Amino acid sequence: MKVQIPIGPQHPALKEPIGLRMTVEGEVIHDADLRLGYNHRGVEKVAEGRSYIQNLYLTERICGICSHSHSTTFAQGAEILFEIVPPKRGQFLRYLVSELERVHSHLLWLGVAGHEAGFDSFFMYVWRDREIVMDILEMISGNRVHYAINTIGGVRRDIDEAQRTKILDLLAVLRARTSFYLNLGTTEPSFVGRLAGVGYLSKEDAMSLCAVGPTARASNVPRDVRKDDPYGIYDEVPFEVCTADTCDVLGRTVVRIKEVLQSYDIMEYLLRNLPAGPVAVKAPRRPKPGEIVSRYEAPRGENIHYIKSNGTDKPERLKVRAPTLGNYAATIAMLKKGFIADIPLIFAAIDPCICCAERSVELVDSRSGRPSVVRWSELRRMAGRRAARDSKKRNVEWPL
Amino acid sequence: MRIGAFIPELLRHLFKKPATVDYPFKKLSPPEGFRGTPYLHPETCIVCRACERDCPAEAIEIVELSAAEKRFRLTIHNDRCIHCAQCVDSCPTDAMRMDDKYEIAAFSRWDLKAAWEYVRAVVKPKAPAPAPAAPAPSANPPSDNG
Repeated sequence: MKVQIPIGPQHPALKEPIGLRMTVEGEVIHDADLRLGYNHRGVEKVAEGRSYIQNLYLTERICGICSHSHSTTFAQGAEILFEIVPPKRGQFLRYLVSELERVHSHLLWLGVAGHEAGFDSFFMYVWRDREIVMDILEMISGNRVHYAINTIGGVRRDIDEAQRTKILDLLAVLRARTSFYLNLGTTEPSFVGRLAGVGYLSKEDAMSLCAVGPTARASNVPRDVRKDDPYGIYDEVPFEVCTADTCDVLGRTVVRIKEVLQSYDIMEYLLRNLPAGPVAVKAPRRPKPGEIVSRYEAPRGENIHYIKSNGTDKPERLKVRAPTLGNYAATIAMLKKGFIADIPLIFAAIDPCICCAERSVELVDSRSGRPSVVRWSELRRMAGRRAARDSKKRNVEWPL
Repeated sequence: MRIGAFIPELLRHLFKKPATVDYPFKKLSPPEGFRGTPYLHPETCIVCRACERDCPAEAIEIVELSAAEKRFRLTIHNDRCIHCAQCVDSCPTDAMRMDDKYEIAAFSRWDLKAAWEYVRAVVKPKAPAPAPAAPAPSANPPSDNG
């Protein structure tokens, strides 16, 4: 017997509202359907009525965790429209904050994964260590969550020598802690056993469903915008794209821990080779008419902003494709043939940021791929045909 | 593989002090450069309206009270403020500043509004500088003479 179980829009397993509809047989999920649109805020429309400098702070508020990702993507695009290039030191500081944000986001995710897997002490220790990153970010930018470090043409704040050495010291502490968690993964069999084999996504599926970020990389698809289409300073920074070949939640955990270690390398490179000079150039108020697509590797995957300028001080159109939206199709594939009890873990493994992805509402039939409208008369005819076919139900007795 | 690899770590932390502080009784000081609440230094404000124009949350409002006296009222709607400090960056005369207060909750959004009434300053401005500066020397010598 197949049963449909709705999970969400409000559910203890979900941090943000999203509707999941599972068709299950016993404990096994046969089909899954996602309903979006519970958190639509109209950010893109608001952006059309604000100047570029105001939009920088608006795009930052698309997401609470990868706030810097969105504002950097927007700033990168706007800088091309304004025909200015940020100075080298400004770029180094901008991508230093990017990597700090990646570390903080991945450590947050590791904690959540530990919590969803029932390893709460892991969750508490990881989040304690994450405070170090938050303190660095607060020291650099003046705030813990919305750093507001970007401006069009560079960054707003410089760091001094004392801060630079302090960050390097704190990075050493973080590196030691992260190596401990990396080893923990290999020595704690219950944790590994809980994560292995859950939420399988084959390499072919990851490619065909256009998975992005660590979700794709855990299925052995080396897809990383920093390497494929280097923006900013990433063509001169040595780093590796981390992949895993287990294609499950364990692989996603390993990819994230490895990426955090890579981020420490990148940050140390940036801090040790920090060039002298100004951090920003002055930007004009109006760009030339034109359009631009800006890509950025956010902690969750590829983030895309499309900006169209009409020569005024406000963009004519801003389109945002947040990485979570790119991973929804892959999530459905992961949920199929899984167990109900694994839904929170599988869903958490894509590191969903639902309010980022809420751009437009689309209702898609999970089987045919297109929405369908059925007339009342047609439904009645279908019911009649079904009753005629199903002979068993005809001699069911009224129970009362 | 061994069972309970995390237990030594947990036991070690039994004898360490907590990572958190007793917040309402003990407070952590915010770092230098913390973006708290914006406030105006009215002596240096030249009413160029750069802050009003650039504020992403439209939290700054400048109203002209008297055109003859050049009196203005600047209101910061802290209930709308997103603490980005763009007004501080946009201000050409360093009249907008940030404090380091972080406990800024209030019972009513009207309690969060901060307003300053002041006369427009003439601190090394571009265009209106010669006009008020020129009468001043001419006004002073007669008083000296008289």
